[in-house]
Amino acid sequence: MLPALLYVVAITQLPFLVSIYYSLTNLKDKTQSLIPEPTKFVGFDNYKQIFSDSFFRQAMWTSVKMTVLAVVLSLIIGTVFAILLDRKFLGQGLVRTLLITPFLLMPVVAALIWKQQMFSSLFGVLNKVLTFVGFSSVAFISDHPLASIVTVLVWQWTPFMMLIMLAGLQSQPTDILEAANVDGASSVGVFRQLTLPHLRPYLELGALLGSIYIVQAFDAIDVMTGGGPGSTNVPYYVYQESIGGGFRYGSASAYAIVVVVFSIIIATFALRVLSSLFKDEERA
Amino acid sequence: MHEARTESVRSRRTLVVALIVAVAAITATFAATASGTSTAKTISVAIVANGQMQDIASLTPALFTAKTGIKVKYTILDEGKLRQVTTRDVGSGGKAFDAVMIGPYEAPQFGAAGLLQDLTSMAKADKAYTYNDLIPAVRNALSANGKLYASPFYGESSFLMYRKDILAKNGVKLGLHPTWQQVAAAARKINTSSMAGICLRGKPGWGDLGAAFTTVLNTFGGTWWSAKSNGQPDKAQVDQPAFKQALGFYAKLVQDAGEKDAANSSFNECLTQYQANKVAMWYDATVAAGTLEAADSPVKGKNGYAFAPVYKTKSSGWLWSWALAIPRSSPDPTDAWTYIAWATGPQYIKAAGTHTKGGWAAIPPGTRFSTYRIPQYKAAAKAFAATTLAAMKAAPITNPGTSKRPGLPGVQYVGIPQFQDVGNRCTQLFSAVIAGSMDDTKAISQCQQIAAQAVK
Repeated sequence: MLPALLYVVAITQLPFLVSIYYSLTNLKDKTQSLIPEPTKFVGFDNYKQIFSDSFFRQAMWTSVKMTVLAVVLSLIIGTVFAILLDRKFLGQGLVRTLLITPFLLMPVVAALIWKQQMFSSLFGVLNKVLTFVGFSSVAFISDHPLASIVTVLVWQWTPFMMLIMLAGLQSQPTDILEAANVDGASSVGVFRQLTLPHLRPYLELGALLGSIYIVQAFDAIDVMTGGGPGSTNVPYYVYQESIGGGFRYGSASAYAIVVVVFSIIIATFALRVLSSLFKDEERA
Repeated sequence: MHEARTESVRSRRTLVVALIVAVAAITATFAATASGTSTAKTISVAIVANGQMQDIASLTPALFTAKTGIKVKYTILDEGKLRQVTTRDVGSGGKAFDAVMIGPYEAPQFGAAGLLQDLTSMAKADKAYTYNDLIPAVRNALSANGKLYASPFYGESSFLMYRKDILAKNGVKLGLHPTWQQVAAAARKINTSSMAGICLRGKPGWGDLGAAFTTVLNTFGGTWWSAKSNGQPDKAQVDQPAFKQALGFYAKLVQDAGEKDAANSSFNECLTQYQANKVAMWYDATVAAGTLEAADSPVKGKNGYAFAPVYKTKSSGWLWSWALAIPRSSPDPTDAWTYIAWATGPQYIKAAGTHTKGGWAAIPPGTRFSTYRIPQYKAAAKAFAATTLAAMKAAPITNPGTSKRPGLPGVQYVGIPQFQDVGNRCTQLFSAVIAGSMDDTKAISQCQQIAAQAVK
């Protein structure tokens, strides 16, 4: 146990401590000065700069919009798919596998497929259809960067949400549903008054796990837009500030640490929901 | 008491053992990954995904590895990604690459900072390489303090390429030295829904949109920064009228008569569109002409060439070269030089003429005088070779605009390390202006902020 623990500490916590140290310096890449400059200790300057940096605020706002849109949309679509799958029909296994496939693709591949085969104004399927129907073609990614990225994220994360909601639906006791049926409840009524309350913790879980993953979205942004107004989220901004072109490791470390603090806050909420879910299970 | 002490000794011993195991595990991980790269006689090279580089990558096994026994592992990336990867690797002393492709922006800066091997003595000693054959403008652009830090694979300026047939059909005439106003008027006149008037780079990146736009900015009398008398950058000048005028002109021209999805287009995208009859004019690197006139090009023989359009300056074309350099941290500099001497030497240029699909017109141009004496090349490149050489000679590298520039010489970039990041982030904003999703006043004020912050 102890070697494992030390290994984990060595590869996760030591770099974090080093990052904290870097965040208090003006460390930058050697290529960023014509004459080698010594690295100076700058105290909390990097942190002060974060709160006056309008681009960071912009990136935060993009992160919020991107995450909320992607999570909500994939939850809604995922729930619909789960309800449709939660019954016996011919070819159910095949349909389920096909629906899960987007989640199994590498994010970079998914983004590339969408960029080149769907959105592209030269070769894209969407524009082929648009021009066939008589509309003029749309430069999806350049004109609507955020919407394009959210589309890909939703496409990838819908299966994940669907699986969680399917588990929720299948854990619903059938005797209650039968009783409601016997009492003559309409199917909409059953869904609103019985199924939805039952699914609530699963929705919460899906939303929180989804948020934790989607807030870190990077691949789709890098492949499709390479950043820019409307598509640079917080992880991408930190990347641009550090190894993605800025090469200012000191201030990038400060940004990263602020992000870690935010992530811990969100993760704490997620863990609380998770544990309450398990407690409910135990009670039931 | 005694028992407690043995207990603590034992736990301390466990701790020490545990620490050793942990450290061993980490070193083992690194050793395992490192041993993969130390196989003898294989070098790693990072290059740009342009046509001539794709050619050399496919010819390397037959023409180089077969003779020298040195295998070359290529990493082929688009311009922006390549810059990130090479800057990171060179700057951190990483050992990922034995040779990297860089240009006149990076070579003198990295060289002066002591991050690249000085190639001068190896180049001068190598008879087959013939150092004195290199075109001086290119050689100087890749040197710092008289030391050559990168060997040019191809060299280029920028100029205007146009379809003679389309212009003639519309009754448009362009001289050899057009102004931007003439070019804009021509583009608007010949623009149709199926064929755009002009292709101009709109893809974010200092070397993409940034390069084309900065040549326009220069000739419109604008600049990114003013310079102090010692050559240091002084104040950001993005919010000045000339900058706004240049950006407005560029964005409006692309919106009115530019290619489809301009915000995603750079050299390779424009090349595709030009060859597919989707654009009638194209302002870009002179090296493109070789591909347009190549043996397998659908637009061969249909093109006219004019010098980079101007407004307030006499010449505005850029000077660039994709060149191979050896990072100071290269694991195998000797083999790396053997490779570079072959790839950028006069023999490869000749071999490319007979071994590639594009034929003589598409060989790597603009690096050596001897290239322009090859009879087959003179015939195949008749339409553009002289203009290319003259454009490279005319590139105003030391005085690109109407005011003094900070940093090292450069036309389509500012020769200071901060420009890479400022150029990349600002061109993201300008690209959004071109796409119409951001207004230029907002883009300018945000870019001014970025540029000012960078030189603070």
